[in-house]
Amino acid sequence: MSSLRVTGLRVRHRKTLALDSLDLALGTGVHGLLGPNGAGKTSLIRVLATVARPDAGRVELLGEDIAGHRGLAGVRRRLGYLPQEFGYYPGFTVREFVAYVAWLKEVPAARVAAAVERAVTRVGLADRIDAKVRTLSGGMVRRVGIAQAIVNDPALLLLDEPTAGLDPEQRVEFRALLRELGAAATVVVSTHLVEDVAAACTEVTLLDAGRIAYRGTPEALTLLGEASDGPGDHPIERGYTAALRAHRTPGAREGVR
Amino acid sequence: MTTTRGPLLYARSRALPLTLAALAATAAFAVWAAGRLDAYLDPDRRVPIVALAPLLASAVIGTSLYSASDELDRTAVRPWWPRRLAQLAGLAALAALLVTPAVLGHTENFGPPAVIRNTLGCTGVTAAAAVLLGARLSWLPAFVYVTGVYLGSTTAHGRAATVWAWPMQPGSQPGAWVTALTAFAAGAALYAVRGARPEGPRG
Repeated sequence: MSSLRVTGLRVRHRKTLALDSLDLALGTGVHGLLGPNGAGKTSLIRVLATVARPDAGRVELLGEDIAGHRGLAGVRRRLGYLPQEFGYYPGFTVREFVAYVAWLKEVPAARVAAAVERAVTRVGLADRIDAKVRTLSGGMVRRVGIAQAIVNDPALLLLDEPTAGLDPEQRVEFRALLRELGAAATVVVSTHLVEDVAAACTEVTLLDAGRIAYRGTPEALTLLGEASDGPGDHPIERGYTAALRAHRTPGAREGVR
Repeated sequence: MTTTRGPLLYARSRALPLTLAALAATAAFAVWAAGRLDAYLDPDRRVPIVALAPLLASAVIGTSLYSASDELDRTAVRPWWPRRLAQLAGLAALAALLVTPAVLGHTENFGPPAVIRNTLGCTGVTAAAAVLLGARLSWLPAFVYVTGVYLGSTTAHGRAATVWAWPMQPGSQPGAWVTALTAFAAGAALYAVRGARPEGPRG
């Protein structure tokens, strides 16, 4: 069953069409969202996070049409979101910042303290929970962002460039966390790093110029790369470029779907 | 001190403790400056206090409307407008209350009614500016307008002047009250519905 379904989604930024009649349905698991800069990944994530309104189309999240206020409130309680730039309050500690988001998500007050400690522990920052966010390194701040996104145990988790700034060890740990989260929730990860997709995702969606260029499993994308002689150091990177080029070539699109 | 209580975290996220301290300092400065005016030959000159103290208070309120995590705030379960309206109206009422002692005893022209009116009007203009320009620059339009009127309205008379030069009018002038209350209602409604303009990468 799909926990996320968009139909005919169109998003326009001034004169640019960011998403063009997009249809997409995703269920439980970790879904990688790949694509070049300006493909529409962040626009899609922001609509799914309910912070941006589409110009046209229907968005159903967790069985609710988010056009209605009641449905929207219910969805937001069960939604986690890490934006590319999330901003934080300079005087807040990690605990306070994550608790602030728990309050936004209406986590019951009696459960907030435990939920915050659990989320912070899951991202490996338990020893820095009472440190001011402004004193942390870039990678640690990113992990604080991931902690706030999972504090309400979301059924739908949207992560926009979650591994930016993480060192290799942290990225390996984060992929393990993604796989753990994806066992029970629908996780959408927008990234430029195809190796993250190969290691942690159950499905991959490739966007280009506001449209879906490819959908399949990371293994199928890797196979596509092995069969292609395009640029890339790894088969999945070659698969990424092969799928993009096939999508951009008229008449060749059906071959990669 | 660490807390995980939502309303307290919200108050700290909007720098409300600092804002309250700044409003108290503004009020103290206004009282001090009002006393200094007695040194002039005309001891009843209250217009500088009536015009500038509410302006300073509204600037303090405007900067407190800043949200560092606007993108996350937009995913809040509850609608924002009640909290925004409560914050703005509460701070405006408090500012009017704090600044009023600077002009006590001068109720006939430039006393408490004029200060309250100007605090509401300047706060409304500042709130609208926070929506259009962002909270950090929200003080600028009110500052330009009030200082412009302050410098340019000395010879202005007539009905129209009671409207456009509202910060310089006596407290009993109906036209000035209508303008100031309209500015407050419009600014508060705009801010409550839309919030301050994001100032991050998406601003």
